[in-house]
Amino acid sequence: MSGSEERNLKHLDEMTLLLYLERQLERARGLEVSAHMQECETCRTLLRALERESRLLTRAMLEDTEPLPSRLAQFQEAARRSMQWIWGLAFGLAATGVYALYTGYIQPWQSELEKAGFSGTNLLGLLIFQSPFWKGWQPMITLLEILAMATLGGLGVMFLRRRIRRGSALALVFAGLSVAMMLPAQASATELRKGDRVSVGRDEVIHSDLYVAGGQIRIAGTIEGDLVVAGGDVEVSGTVKGDLLSASGQVRMTGQVDGSIRGYAGNITVKGKVGRNVMTCGGDVNIDRDATVGGSITSMSGRLSIDGHVQRDVLGMGGQANISGFIGGSAKIRSDELNIESTAQIGGPVNFEGNKPPHVDEGAKLASPVHFEKITHAPNYSSPHYYIWQLIWASAYILFGLVLFALMPTFSLQAVNSAEEHVGASVGLAVLVGFGLPIAACITCVTVVGLFVGLSTLALWYGALHFGLVVIGALLGQWLMGRTSELWPLIGRMCVGVVIVRLFTIIPHVGWVFKYGAALWGLGAISLVVFRRFQPAVAAGAPSAPTVQSLPPNTTIGGPLPA
Amino acid sequence: MSAPGITEPTEAIARARAGDADAWGQLYREYAPAIFRFCRRAMPTREDAEDATMEIFMKLKGKLNQYDTTRSFSAWLYKVAANHCWDLLRRRKIRQDKETDDVENVPLEHPEPSQLEKLIEQRSSEEVRKALEKMGARARMALVMRYYSDMSYDEIADALGVRRAFVGVVLLRARHELRQALEGNAALAAGGTS
Repeated sequence: MSGSEERNLKHLDEMTLLLYLERQLERARGLEVSAHMQECETCRTLLRALERESRLLTRAMLEDTEPLPSRLAQFQEAARRSMQWIWGLAFGLAATGVYALYTGYIQPWQSELEKAGFSGTNLLGLLIFQSPFWKGWQPMITLLEILAMATLGGLGVMFLRRRIRRGSALALVFAGLSVAMMLPAQASATELRKGDRVSVGRDEVIHSDLYVAGGQIRIAGTIEGDLVVAGGDVEVSGTVKGDLLSASGQVRMTGQVDGSIRGYAGNITVKGKVGRNVMTCGGDVNIDRDATVGGSITSMSGRLSIDGHVQRDVLGMGGQANISGFIGGSAKIRSDELNIESTAQIGGPVNFEGNKPPHVDEGAKLASPVHFEKITHAPNYSSPHYYIWQLIWASAYILFGLVLFALMPTFSLQAVNSAEEHVGASVGLAVLVGFGLPIAACITCVTVVGLFVGLSTLALWYGALHFGLVVIGALLGQWLMGRTSELWPLIGRMCVGVVIVRLFTIIPHVGWVFKYGAALWGLGAISLVVFRRFQPAVAAGAPSAPTVQSLPPNTTIGGPLPA
Repeated sequence: MSAPGITEPTEAIARARAGDADAWGQLYREYAPAIFRFCRRAMPTREDAEDATMEIFMKLKGKLNQYDTTRSFSAWLYKVAANHCWDLLRRRKIRQDKETDDVENVPLEHPEPSQLEKLIEQRSSEEVRKALEKMGARARMALVMRYYSDMSYDEIADALGVRRAFVGVVLLRARHELRQALEGNAALAAGGTS
């Protein structure tokens, strides 16, 4: 092309040439530019200059490779060392703190109170110190020891992980747990008996724990350990030096239990002597005239009847409660009705929550008049207390979420994303985990594997249910304020979302739908993430990703220039 | 970092995702020099670059599970690094007034092709690096993202928070700014020697 012809051409602007060079033009426009390039020397020169500029830039940025500063070289090692120990250290400190708190403050305080003749007079004291659910604080300390051992095992696995694969690590953990569960059983040399009719004769002495399963169970002898029974009809007329644990249709205890009675039965009658506490769930619970309970009674039953002697407190929940015997401590009853007969004697305060005022016979000896509170089935929206409690609950949820989000940022974010992206799977798993897991946990409670696993699972499930609500709160926050993958912005969204979810839950009549719906949805999302974590990680032999140039980055600049 | 054509350490990535500290260490050793160099070019000072590199790797540890294994790891890494560096720069309000102008409306001066070619031919890598240090944060960031880490226009748009169609304008403006800085350096050098 001659110079005069080129002068007649309209030159392309620099922007177009840059986009052409970087292959950002649409195909049709790119072809036009290519055609122009063949005719226009000026534009070709500019394009060449732009390309050289690109190359110069890349070269300038890649050259002069400074070595990695020593601060950065050391950073990885320091971070690695600190991260490996931080969790073990945190757990150790927490466990030590709890133990120190117990031995330093709670235990002396409790023993001083006991020396002074005080018995537990409130629900918290009743549940914690008088151990109706557990065999006392000692097993709690044992639990801490087990957790400490599990942590130690976890650290061991962490150290060994270099040599073992994920599957082997999991197998090792489960094998360790199984061994840990089997060890106490072997150490205590538990005896097992089962059959349609099982009996322990009057002169028979069992020098260990006894587990019995059968249709009709008669225990007339002496059990030096715990007695665990699962049967249709159980009668204990002998002596149990440990605890009596039961899951039976009907239980009659006419003998002596030095420890506590715990468990479920359709009908429980206590006629003998119980050294410590009675904690029962049942249709009908009778503490007979001849019965003596050294500790407290905690009962959730259709009908509770106390005619005997209870040294400490009574906590009863159920349909009907009748008191005609002696209660040394306080009585806290929540039931449809309460009858206190003339032969009754109660040493502490009596609190009754019910549908109608209690019936108290004239001859009854009470330390103070019964404090009656009518059960209100609907929340009292006009009471400021209701709103204060809502505020406290919302704050508690936020605090709970804050701790879990900070402890497990990746897990939390994945749970929030799962709730949004896999609604179907989350809801499906919610049904399975929300209802199936507690049933499985309850079944576990009555098997030999034990109360510990069942109760731990239930506690975990319960915690996850609340965390589910927090997860949905965070999701709601993301919908309102935009998605984020950063921790603190996510926590901010969680706070906003949780407040909104809690506001929804106080709507009359339908609030509970939001509450349980959100909790279950969140639980499903959490379960999905847990489920996925147990899936194998990306296989080593998986096809590698298409490689985008890494170092040195091979900058793509333009396509082949037209000839 | 992996050289072009060599596959990425897929196994180490998978193990690091599963919480293997050694695999994480391997990834760090492999990719830290490249990320440091990226930060060194994007951030105003060496100390800033060191801090940013550490922060990026701390962030990556928590984000590793978000990495889509079907994509390039190094590309993802650069994306996280670019987002972090730009966040830092933006928070420090390093962007100068001229960058906050509505640059879409500022006309770009068309260069004289032969003069531009001459300018490019005469400048060394060292001069370009010095010129880059004098540039505004956004212009420098755009050039680093495009010509160092080979990020796409979409990724650059995402990192800088601009429309995709505007990325070309940002890059072209950055080149003009670079040329001015190069000419300024040359004038300064000439003045100094006279």
